[in-house]
Amino acid sequence: MKKTGKVLALLLAGALTVGLTACGKSDSSSGASGGSSSGEKVTITFQNISPDPTTPAYKIIRQLVAEYQKEHPNVEIALDTLNTDQQKLKLKTQAASREIPDITMVNPAAQMKPYVDAGLLAPLDDVLDKDGLRDTYQKGLLDYYSKDNKVYALPDGNNIEVGFYNKALFAKAGIDAPPTTFDELLADVGKLKAAGITPIAIGEKDSWTGSFLFMNILLRTNGGPGFLQDVVDGKKTFNDPAFIEAVEAFQKLVQAGAFPDGATAIDATAGGNMFRTGQAAMFFIGTWETGSNDASTVGKDIGVFKFPTVNGKGNLDEYMLAPGSAYAVSANSEHLAETKDFLHFFTSNYPKASFDMKNAVGLGQKVDGDFKTAGYSSLAIEILDMFKNIKGGDLSFDNTMNPAVSQVHLSSIQNLFVQQVDPKQVAEEHQAAFEANK
Amino acid sequence: MNVLKVPARTIAVFVLPCVLLYIGTVFIPILVSFYTSTLDWNGIGDAKFIGLANFHTLLFEDNNFWPSVRRTLMYAVFSIVEIPFCLLFAILLNRYVRKGSRLVTIYFIPVILSNVILGQLWKTIYNPTSMGGMLNGVLVQLGLESWTHSWLTEPAYAMYALYFVSLWQYFGYHLLIQFTGVQNIPDEIYEAARIDGAEGFKADRYITFPMIVPIFKISVVLAFIGSLQAFELVMVMTGGGPAHATDTIATHMYNMSFLSQKYGYGSAVATFLVVFCLIITVIINFIFNRVERKVT
Repeated sequence: MKKTGKVLALLLAGALTVGLTACGKSDSSSGASGGSSSGEKVTITFQNISPDPTTPAYKIIRQLVAEYQKEHPNVEIALDTLNTDQQKLKLKTQAASREIPDITMVNPAAQMKPYVDAGLLAPLDDVLDKDGLRDTYQKGLLDYYSKDNKVYALPDGNNIEVGFYNKALFAKAGIDAPPTTFDELLADVGKLKAAGITPIAIGEKDSWTGSFLFMNILLRTNGGPGFLQDVVDGKKTFNDPAFIEAVEAFQKLVQAGAFPDGATAIDATAGGNMFRTGQAAMFFIGTWETGSNDASTVGKDIGVFKFPTVNGKGNLDEYMLAPGSAYAVSANSEHLAETKDFLHFFTSNYPKASFDMKNAVGLGQKVDGDFKTAGYSSLAIEILDMFKNIKGGDLSFDNTMNPAVSQVHLSSIQNLFVQQVDPKQVAEEHQAAFEANK
Repeated sequence: MNVLKVPARTIAVFVLPCVLLYIGTVFIPILVSFYTSTLDWNGIGDAKFIGLANFHTLLFEDNNFWPSVRRTLMYAVFSIVEIPFCLLFAILLNRYVRKGSRLVTIYFIPVILSNVILGQLWKTIYNPTSMGGMLNGVLVQLGLESWTHSWLTEPAYAMYALYFVSLWQYFGYHLLIQFTGVQNIPDEIYEAARIDGAEGFKADRYITFPMIVPIFKISVVLAFIGSLQAFELVMVMTGGGPAHATDTIATHMYNMSFLSQKYGYGSAVATFLVVFCLIITVIINFIFNRVERKVT
């Protein structure tokens, strides 16, 4: 009995010390939050979504971080590098316990809203007002990242969705120009198919890819942007003829065999690689892929075209807009001042660093410099010209609708890849989900 | 307890760390998820208490839920049906193959491989013909072109393609368990039976089967619980698609909690899964207790 008593006492004492040290640790770290640039060692966590070492984005982050650390030896930037889907998931998990990293990445509009509503993000207007950083951003772009006149995140890009095509494969199938109408697109699909070439690359296991393409059709059949916003505002429903017509057109594309076999099991990266290795002739994707398309083995054959009109409707200069993922700062950051200072440095130097790495197509900020003399490809220059003539457009589905409705939409579109469905039923499914999740 | 000749208090001290760990990592999270299942919560902002409304939606209004339960149950049924075959195989290995344990080790390899690797491997096997899928390639070689399918993306076949991979993967696992069970039956019993004229199948019928029941039960419970949690393989190979055609309870829970951002609703699915697991385990135990009493 005595022995057990001793053992117990020892155990309890042990537990107590562990508890004490734990307390001590948290005390000291919370105490450090007051100190700013006094030379005290500070670690800032920077969660980012550029995991691929071959991409310019990966190199730019490391280059800028190294430069900043050189100037501020007391600051250490700890990179938490994840791929996009992992990061979304990790951030949600961290947000649930209100412990998000000092700097993280969020998506615009509807996807950013829950974080802002929960008070997790710090307003960044003071960062923007320092040294005129605000003016470097394209006009209107920051609106997608604002709520109640405060900006909560700084975008790393501003892209549009275009059709990339492989000129060599088009020539092989006897097509001389990219399609300008949907019927031409269908005809080209037929010709490519007959020549044994996969017409359109896609990675529909990541269901946003199919939705992104589908939304182009909706943008055309609706005769202009704003369909989803009208639904949100109660002016239209998904049973609208424009939506049904878009589903019909999309089904025609599937029926024509436009997509690779087993598309719903191909992930987005593999889908992109089908195009970049010359296995598929077209690829509808955001201009953020310009750099990697350029750098691929078929880079010199790649051209670009605007999404065609559908049944004579729509304007070629209206695009699916993709304001990029954006850097946001945790409102509860222990080193808010240092974090904001770093973000200011980072975003101020981002355009120049990107320009030097030939990654400045689809940047959210204005860039000084002549693209032609800097050696940008003709593809890049062509896309930059498209940017100049943008007449408007829509945000992607999941940036406009809440996540629950988006998920129904995504799997509904995915379903179109594997079976024929009555378009009215698709519309009904969307409308029901919208009403259930208002 | 008195058998051990150690005071109860000492036992308590030694058991305590484990119990605390178990409570901390299993019981408390389960209770927390019970609680969150009564909330209307997106996982980030403020939560609203809505009582059992999530469960009502789940059980009566969610078109994707019951099909995913059915698929999960089918998963379990297939895995359980596999076990008698594993037992048969184990008996044959034990009887006719010298150093059968080496073969068992080889069959065990898929179990230690990561599900992600297996998923990628089988994805390339199942690929459509145009992408050089091996299975379809073999079918074409055999002149069975009409049998080729895009296995993972046709809703009619996708789920069966997934079942098969799991069966293939866990064959070695259950074989190992059964093989060990068979080996642990003392040889003397068989020798005695031989003297009484019981050999081969007869010996199996009256010695192996009754003595293996407890081991068999372990396999069945493991197979069942494992199937109910089927997740990684599905995520890697199909992501629950096309259009929910391969969703299981676990992937449905994931989709709801993290993709649709209905954290409370996802917790309701999780709660259902926990309760379901408990009930099934109790039923299996009950059945086996009866069987055991009958045969021994």
